[in-house]
Amino acid sequence: MRPLVSVLFFACAASAVAATTRPATAPARSPFARAIAYAQERSVKIHGAGIALEHGYAAGTIVSADGLILTADGLIINTSNLRVTLPDGRIVGAKVVRRSEPLQSALLKVDVSTPSFFEMPDKSPVTKGDWVLAINNSFKVADGAEPLSVNMGIVSLVADVDAKRKVQDVPYDGDAILIDAITSNPGAPGGAVVTADGTLAGIVGRIMESKATNTRLNYAVPIERLRPFVLGQEMIVGPGTPKGKPFVGIRLFTLGGRKTPAYIDRIAPGSPAADAGLLKDDLVLAINGKAVRDCEDYQELEAALAPGAPATFTIKRKSQITQVKLSIREETAHATPTTAP
Amino acid sequence: MQRQQRLRRVGTAHQCVIAAALALCALRSAALAQDEGMLLAPKAFRAAVERILPSVVIIETYGSSATPVAERPAPGPRPGPRPGGRRGGGISKPGEGPTTGLIVSADGLILTSTYNFLRGQPIITVVLRDGSQHVAKLLGRDETRKLCVLKVEGVKDLPVPKTAGPQELKVGQWAISVGYGYGGHEPAISSGIISATRRMSGRAVQTDANLSPANYGGPLIDIEGRVLGICVPLSPQSRETAGGTEWYDSGIGFAVPVHGAEGLIKRMASGETIRPGWLGIRPATESKGEGVTIEEVQPNSPAAGAGLKKGDIIVAINGQAVADTAALADVMNKLAAGDSLTLVYKQGGEEKTATLTLAEPPATPVPPVRPATTRAATSRPVASRPARG
Repeated sequence: MRPLVSVLFFACAASAVAATTRPATAPARSPFARAIAYAQERSVKIHGAGIALEHGYAAGTIVSADGLILTADGLIINTSNLRVTLPDGRIVGAKVVRRSEPLQSALLKVDVSTPSFFEMPDKSPVTKGDWVLAINNSFKVADGAEPLSVNMGIVSLVADVDAKRKVQDVPYDGDAILIDAITSNPGAPGGAVVTADGTLAGIVGRIMESKATNTRLNYAVPIERLRPFVLGQEMIVGPGTPKGKPFVGIRLFTLGGRKTPAYIDRIAPGSPAADAGLLKDDLVLAINGKAVRDCEDYQELEAALAPGAPATFTIKRKSQITQVKLSIREETAHATPTTAP
Repeated sequence: MQRQQRLRRVGTAHQCVIAAALALCALRSAALAQDEGMLLAPKAFRAAVERILPSVVIIETYGSSATPVAERPAPGPRPGPRPGGRRGGGISKPGEGPTTGLIVSADGLILTSTYNFLRGQPIITVVLRDGSQHVAKLLGRDETRKLCVLKVEGVKDLPVPKTAGPQELKVGQWAISVGYGYGGHEPAISSGIISATRRMSGRAVQTDANLSPANYGGPLIDIEGRVLGICVPLSPQSRETAGGTEWYDSGIGFAVPVHGAEGLIKRMASGETIRPGWLGIRPATESKGEGVTIEEVQPNSPAAGAGLKKGDIIVAINGQAVADTAALADVMNKLAAGDSLTLVYKQGGEEKTATLTLAEPPATPVPPVRPATTRAATSRPVASRPARG
């Protein structure tokens, strides 16, 4: 009887210890250990050109058995001396296969076989709130054959971001996976962003600044957008058919400057704005759901309207907010808003 | 006898092996359970966010005078590591995106951060979770907490969220931030833990969830979707309106608790602007833990008006013992201009009591009486450090 009691006691005590504290005796483990090891075996360090704020190092993600490597685009790959440090520490030269401006990404190739590589899912393996692990070489802390660093976070939001690196740069275009692991550091772009089970969700994007928040973004370029780029199936968007200039019939009150709210000063008689019942002193709050914070926003959004298509204007009249539909026409010589009283 | 002993030994050894095996199993299953819990956490994050969303609003402002918040001169990648999060981590001006607020009354009071109104007091609208957009007014603000209150007219039965009190707050518990700063109609979320339950003299909790312009004004919630606080940029080093934004991406974020803040919300809703309170003394930096000796009393200050003098020792304020300067700062930082306080002090060995009302700090700093000899205490004009006492 006694042995059984003490065995039970031991078992209970042990499980109590295990449940209440992180037991010092248990081997160090993490639910993410396997995913991390898997991802690190498929991630590389990249060294290339660098000058001033363009750092000459990055991370890369192996996506085929014959040496295709995804990384972020940038000055770093503008060199004949582009080198890749493979997971086993071997350093090999790399060539640029192609680059994508909207994805701000590049595809490299090394002439060695890379039997450990990531499969590329054709649809996103993550949703908001999911754990993600970002493999990176922030500040070049991983040396030689040392495994790359890992930062953990969750998916904050998957959204179309308006972000640029510098004012004159081409912005990143389209959906990005915003994450709350800090990856907006030199050496992180190009690293694999994987799920808790090691599935590739994207690569750490080039360092960009969000127009919405004026902060650097921590984000991944989604794998479902990178896959066609790797496979050479990227859609080429043609110039499209030229469209005429839109005519709305609104003239704003701009005496205070372009940064003042978009108050309507005049409505052209017989114009789409007049037909929709808009009045002088109405404030335009949004066009097709996009906020019009000032006159400058208005000019930009109005210019982008398509003649012949309806547009929804959100209007504030006194303290009432309403939405009105306008049928945008094409501007003709005599249809411009009149300045005559 | 011998045999019996041997048997017992064998029995004991046997027992140990079983115990060890069971213990290992227990450890392993507990560890596996822990793993599973961790892997399931995203589900809990999403559920918590779903619970709070009906009470979270999008704030749009119109007309921007675009006042810069100069912290960082030039954009571009960071020059190097930013251990303190200060250097190069700030933002040059507020972004163009919307901001976030939290419903705190069924008839349309919205609690948010003053950060969201850096560009003056433009036209404000609030978008509720059902997509309806309403005009809102800025009623009042608390500059010591970077909070302000908006009012949406013509609404009723808005969902007021549950809040979690201080006794339910533990370092290490999950904390999730929610904010609409990136635009669109779905908020961005960030998860982390509570890093400290009391910071900035008890005005804020600290978290390692990413707090930034993407969620200033929005709620920090617990794993059950209850509000722990409103995300605000606070900085121990700065009282500027945008001070604290430079801490984004640093792993240090602050949220001001909403639980028990009804009085504060009421004051802001009545149009009040709460500013730091000014007592008008400079405390001695050294203390024996039995009170704070007054090094200097500024002329025309509440302290001077109450008859406090150099050399007096403050022992208690509002019934709370003031053992040293840290305790004094702690009590003072909870009070604002206009607040009355009862002060117990020793003057020439005699214990006295004074009742006084804290003033707003004088607009022009009073120059220090003596030349600067020690670091922080005299490196800045005394009067510009009002809340320290």
